[in-house]
Amino acid sequence: MNALKQALASGPGQVAIRAVVAVALVWLVVLPLLGASDSTLFTMTLMLTSVAVAINWNLTGGFTGYVDFGHAVWFGLGAYVTAILMSLQANSLSIGWPPVPAIVVGAVVAGVLAGLIGRVTMRLKGPYFSIAMLGTFVAVREIVRTWGGLTGGGVGLTLPPYLNRQLFYYVELALVVGLVVLVWWLRRTRFGAALVAIREDELGAQMRGISTTRLKVAVFSLAGASTGLFGGLWAYQNTFVDPDIAFTEVRTIDAIMGTLLGGLGTVAGPVVGSVGLYWLREVLWANLLDYHLVAQGVLLILIVLLMPRGIVGTFDRRGVSARHLWRLRRRHADDRSEEVTAP
Amino acid sequence: MTALLEAAGVVKRFGGLTAVDGVDIEVAPGEMVGLIGPNGSGKTTLFDCLSGIQSIDGGSVSFDGVDITRRRPHQVARLGMARTFQLIRVYRDLTVAENMELSTQWAEVGLRDLFRPAGAATRRKAGDLLEFLMLGPMRDEPAGTLSGGQRRLLEIGMALMSDPRLVLLDEATAGVNPSLVEDIKDRLRAVNSEQGVAFLLVEHNVQFVADLCERVVVLDAGSKLAEGTPSQIMDDPAVIEAYFGAAGRAHQTNAGANGTGAGP
Repeated sequence: MNALKQALASGPGQVAIRAVVAVALVWLVVLPLLGASDSTLFTMTLMLTSVAVAINWNLTGGFTGYVDFGHAVWFGLGAYVTAILMSLQANSLSIGWPPVPAIVVGAVVAGVLAGLIGRVTMRLKGPYFSIAMLGTFVAVREIVRTWGGLTGGGVGLTLPPYLNRQLFYYVELALVVGLVVLVWWLRRTRFGAALVAIREDELGAQMRGISTTRLKVAVFSLAGASTGLFGGLWAYQNTFVDPDIAFTEVRTIDAIMGTLLGGLGTVAGPVVGSVGLYWLREVLWANLLDYHLVAQGVLLILIVLLMPRGIVGTFDRRGVSARHLWRLRRRHADDRSEEVTAP
Repeated sequence: MTALLEAAGVVKRFGGLTAVDGVDIEVAPGEMVGLIGPNGSGKTTLFDCLSGIQSIDGGSVSFDGVDITRRRPHQVARLGMARTFQLIRVYRDLTVAENMELSTQWAEVGLRDLFRPAGAATRRKAGDLLEFLMLGPMRDEPAGTLSGGQRRLLEIGMALMSDPRLVLLDEATAGVNPSLVEDIKDRLRAVNSEQGVAFLLVEHNVQFVADLCERVVVLDAGSKLAEGTPSQIMDDPAVIEAYFGAAGRAHQTNAGANGTGAGP
């Protein structure tokens, strides 16, 4: 393992990694041109969606150390705002918004709400924050279900269909690539470094002059907006939303599992992990239909035990293990710091 | 001379316990002041009150003429007050150099700088300070691999990164081997005399305080017991009583009878 690590860190190793990334990108770009079927493209698009959600989850969970058990709430909000705007009716006449502004507004709403809710929930530390976000997720879903006049209630909303799978695929591919570049760049800035400082020792970071509240809420809001954007795109492709499919815990769980598998706190981890998770499921489903979920669980446990820092984290010093995160969050929860009211 | 740090009548209660009970403390620019007292006398709590970690229940704190009584820790740090901790707080998974670069003066980091990597000037300054603190060879090691004493040095370096005018040092020598204590003493003295940085030190190592400080404040049970030069403090019967109780007093009396001490 160490030899491999060194090989990857050296010049030729870096060239090899770049070559693999380049080949993967070219393959992803030409895939539709090689005659991939619509269903293949749809599957690929869903995979890209889960990659994006995992990247966003990792921004708060992996980099900043705030483990969010309700991240899918931003996905559902983006999806619902998009669906509501696109299916608006007045006197039985459709006055629905065009898709692009509807999706953008969905992302903005998710981002603003994430900022407002984060301002409150991120005062909580460690497990308390995680539980608060799980509660937020369930509460928002039930509000959406109950507020029938706006959201269609439990019946859901139908969007005008537009079934150009290829276009959706390319849009999502471009957005995911953009998101990876954004995160890679953020990680190198002082902002990214400060997020890691918050994860490692929030009180210490404050004592050294970092405005931790502002930065952690900012990144939470950014992650919420980005996940909301992908939620809106998903709603448009799915042509239908209801509370249970737009707000599903599975999306949060997948983001967490993908990030753990790939490497918490690394840039490439959520990408590698989410793709790996997709592939693993396909293989297990095809070979062990009856037991595929059991097999998936066992395999994931083994991977987390044997590779605690995930696939990418094993080779990237910046990766952290779930255990490390757990220990840190518990320590922070015990910190004596009090909220001092600003003047 | 106006005081750099001026705390008046600071009170901090935890439920029924009054941990800090109306303490006045002043530090002049460039001064080195020691803060000593038995365990549980409220030294660290006072530090927490001064640096904004704990809100206070009475009194006021001002720094450089600015009232900081209700300021948050990051705002206090940005005014030029840095501190270290009794339980060392370095970012253990980051390298030594990254620890230093993160501890820059954030008041000077504008929105544009926030979205850029740390500048060359910051890196150079971190490198110079690490050399000064004898940590140069460790710059690329994760901070968690340093020894306890080296971590103390790193934390002092992190405090100095922000160009502070006052550093609150909480037990800078705890768990540090004696030769390194001498090194720490030299470095602190150099920073004080060359850059005019003021220090307020909480210490159990009384000799360390006596060597560095012109003035010592003694806390006992949350209140100020005595204040004066190190030699005045060490001869003060109230201080001896608080530290050593009746045994200390008896020892002091015997010493006085033998003509070797300055007994009461």
